[in-house]
Amino acid sequence: MALSLFNILIFPGFLFLGVYSLAFEYIDRIIYARMQNRQGPPWFQPLADFLKLVGKETIIPEDADKNIFKALPIFAMAAVTAAFLYVPITGVNSLFPFEGDLIVVLYLLTIPTLTFFLAGWMSSSLYSTIGAVRAMTQLFSYEVPLFMALLAPAILAGTWSLSGIAAYYHANPLWILVNIPAFLVAIVAIQGKLERLPFDMPEAETELCAGTFTEYSGRLLAIFRMAIDAELVVVAAIVAAVFFPIFVANAWLGFLIFVIKTLVVAFILAIFRSVMARIRIEQMVIFCWKYLTPVALLQIVINIVIKGVL
Amino acid sequence: MTAAQTQEQIIAKYPSLEGKVHIASDLRVWVDALPASEFEDLLAYVHDEMKYDFFHLVIGLDSGENLEFVYILSQWEAPADNEVLLLLKQYAPKSNPVIKSVSDRYANATWHERELVDLLGAIVEDLPPGLSYPLPDGWPEGNYPLRKDWKVEFFDPLTLTYNPPAPAEEKPEEGGAK
Amino acid sequence: MSKKVIVPIGPQHPALKEPACFSLTLEGEKVLSAVVGVGYNHRGLEKSCESRSYIQSLYIIERVCGICSHSHSTCFLQCAEELAGVEITRRAAYIRVLMGELERLHSHLLWLGVAAHLIGFDTLFCYAWRDRELVLDLLADLGGNRVNYGINTPGGVRRDVTPEQIQDILSTMDILDKQLAYYVELALGDTVLAARLANVGKLSKEECIHFGAVGPTARAAEVNYDIRKVGPTAAYAEIPFNVITDTHADVFGRTVVRVLEMVESVKMVRYAVANMPDGDILVKFPRKVPAGEVVSRYEAPRGEDVHYVKANGSEHPERVRVRAPSEANWHGMAHMIEGDYLADAPLIIAAIDPCYSCTDRAFVLNNNNTGEQQVFDWKQLRQYSIDFYKKEHGFDASKIKIAEKKHF
Repeated sequence: MALSLFNILIFPGFLFLGVYSLAFEYIDRIIYARMQNRQGPPWFQPLADFLKLVGKETIIPEDADKNIFKALPIFAMAAVTAAFLYVPITGVNSLFPFEGDLIVVLYLLTIPTLTFFLAGWMSSSLYSTIGAVRAMTQLFSYEVPLFMALLAPAILAGTWSLSGIAAYYHANPLWILVNIPAFLVAIVAIQGKLERLPFDMPEAETELCAGTFTEYSGRLLAIFRMAIDAELVVVAAIVAAVFFPIFVANAWLGFLIFVIKTLVVAFILAIFRSVMARIRIEQMVIFCWKYLTPVALLQIVINIVIKGVL
Repeated sequence: MTAAQTQEQIIAKYPSLEGKVHIASDLRVWVDALPASEFEDLLAYVHDEMKYDFFHLVIGLDSGENLEFVYILSQWEAPADNEVLLLLKQYAPKSNPVIKSVSDRYANATWHERELVDLLGAIVEDLPPGLSYPLPDGWPEGNYPLRKDWKVEFFDPLTLTYNPPAPAEEKPEEGGAK
Repeated sequence: MSKKVIVPIGPQHPALKEPACFSLTLEGEKVLSAVVGVGYNHRGLEKSCESRSYIQSLYIIERVCGICSHSHSTCFLQCAEELAGVEITRRAAYIRVLMGELERLHSHLLWLGVAAHLIGFDTLFCYAWRDRELVLDLLADLGGNRVNYGINTPGGVRRDVTPEQIQDILSTMDILDKQLAYYVELALGDTVLAARLANVGKLSKEECIHFGAVGPTARAAEVNYDIRKVGPTAAYAEIPFNVITDTHADVFGRTVVRVLEMVESVKMVRYAVANMPDGDILVKFPRKVPAGEVVSRYEAPRGEDVHYVKANGSEHPERVRVRAPSEANWHGMAHMIEGDYLADAPLIIAAIDPCYSCTDRAFVLNNNNTGEQQVFDWKQLRQYSIDFYKKEHGFDASKIKIAEKKHF
């Protein structure tokens, strides 16, 4: 019981997730800055930003529903934290693995996007409403390819559990080569999920001020930003668990490998972000349904065929 | 069309303008100020027949008794070098500064004409509706900053009132360029 | 969202660094109609020139716009010098061209960065502005200032170009050449960039004539119109260059035109430096200018700049009128935005490289008690806003404490 509580609250649960998200934000920002020939922020900048936001006044629009407005950031953060508990970190197994946790994690990760939509809609401001509609439109475009790209490896592994998938590919590392198209699709779709360039239309600052978060301020915004950073960690951890099957028995060494794997994913995501321009929402919908979804579908077909042959 | 040809053609059509059309520095043809009625005629001819179809600018001037308006025109299909600018002028008395909008011929004239309305107090007929430009909302009526008798030192930017030193002026809002 | 909504872009908006207001009526993401409102920056500059001498006016005119300050001061001086019957030396003319082309480089690089930022391509933004720093350093070295160089003076230029500076210019041009080759490749080849820029903000050749568009906006629609060619001033008649035009007539075309124009500008800078004649840089300019009126034009980075100066024989100009290029390009703006997506609106606005200060021109602040002109400092500005809100809205803000700025 005490160990479980420690695991949930301290490591590798809530506190670790918070610290690691801040570290991740720093890594993301410094890579982005170096790619742009800039100096980049000092290491404590994400923490300083967080504390500054927490200390600022929180303003709630008059027309907004106060309780929902306040609850939404916490929902987002809670969903992401819960998802993190089912992702393998120190080894093949996550904290509380069960058959089907992949599906649970994917749906838990949809909740932040829904809260973004609701946050924008509840703010009753023009910019946030348009941002909210864009967030929803975007959800419908990337969600299908992202799910399929993560389910295809699961089909081959024959399990719906993240830990099970990790264990399967750890045992049969060569099969991961089959999943390379799914990996590429996942990387692109994740940019949409995390609302990063080139898919950051919901909060495109040059068009919509801050999009869905226009009316948020103070600690509510700080929690939202924290949730977004944490989402980045969780998604990177999922990708690392599914597509990079390197695990060791030793917990500390396993943790080190986890850090390296997620950093590689963060690096890929940061590079992706720095070489792209923002596309328009309708271009994104077309792109996702015309190119990403067929590739993901093809991957599923391939994996089913292989599974059948085996 | 060279400057000399432009001059010839205008004088051929309007002999009364003989001596009023000048060529300056080879590329500028100036036509002396005309009253609004004559100007309208000339502008129509210049636009429709002589193909001076590109409108650069209209400049408002305060020349004492009258307001003067300088229209800068050129030809779109001009040679690739040494383009001639045709500068037409019209005037209207300050007491009744009515001119006709040229925006039916030159669509881009509207804003420049709105500026004449705001800054010089010209009354431009047939000006398409739109926002005023460039003075702020709440600018006091009757204050036309570009008129020579409007002195910036009497204007209070904090209260947007014009306070000329004349003792007769009681209400600051009504002070102005009269 | 089938309902129609009106989205204001401005007067304060992250996409606009200067005030202007665009009310866009949206249906979904499509813009049905647009109303353009400018005039927030009117500073009454032309009025203030009327009570100042020519040289004082020059420094006001230079501050019409921070980016194309050299274009405005050159254009104003062309008027003043023609009125006074002064002809500047050839060396001075070359130095003006040199500064003008460096200014074009810095302005176009700035635009490239801003446009990239608006479509979220911050990497290109950082690259373009990094390279712009090189040009700004040159301008600071030549004129003494990064933005308002102050190199022009009635009758010529204020500073000569030394051989060391020429070396500096040439080595910077070598670096820029490499960078520009990269930008050309990027502008012509990058697919994401092309997807965002192509078919956005269309303004055809006929519409350019109709709305009086000038500069790169018009040249992107195959309009071969460059004041450096059609009415050359300074030393432009002697310097060979190509007028860049494009057939796209959209934001993509405007990007291509600007990037290729920078390549031409580098060549022109090299030519001007190599062929700079010897001689004086300044001739005497009379204190009183004979009566007359002159219209002069200059190709600013954004397009045709028109100045009108009327002299009355005294030390002060009778009337000065500045028609900045942005002022000409505004007319087609509503037409360009309508029918496009909201996501493209800031880009279309930026694609004419608008300069709000140019459009609206300057106003001098007057102290209401003493009638003296003054510049508000931070505290006075705050006091002003407190008074204003008290008076206009009955809201007392004087209780709000602000932290003292420790070091600045």
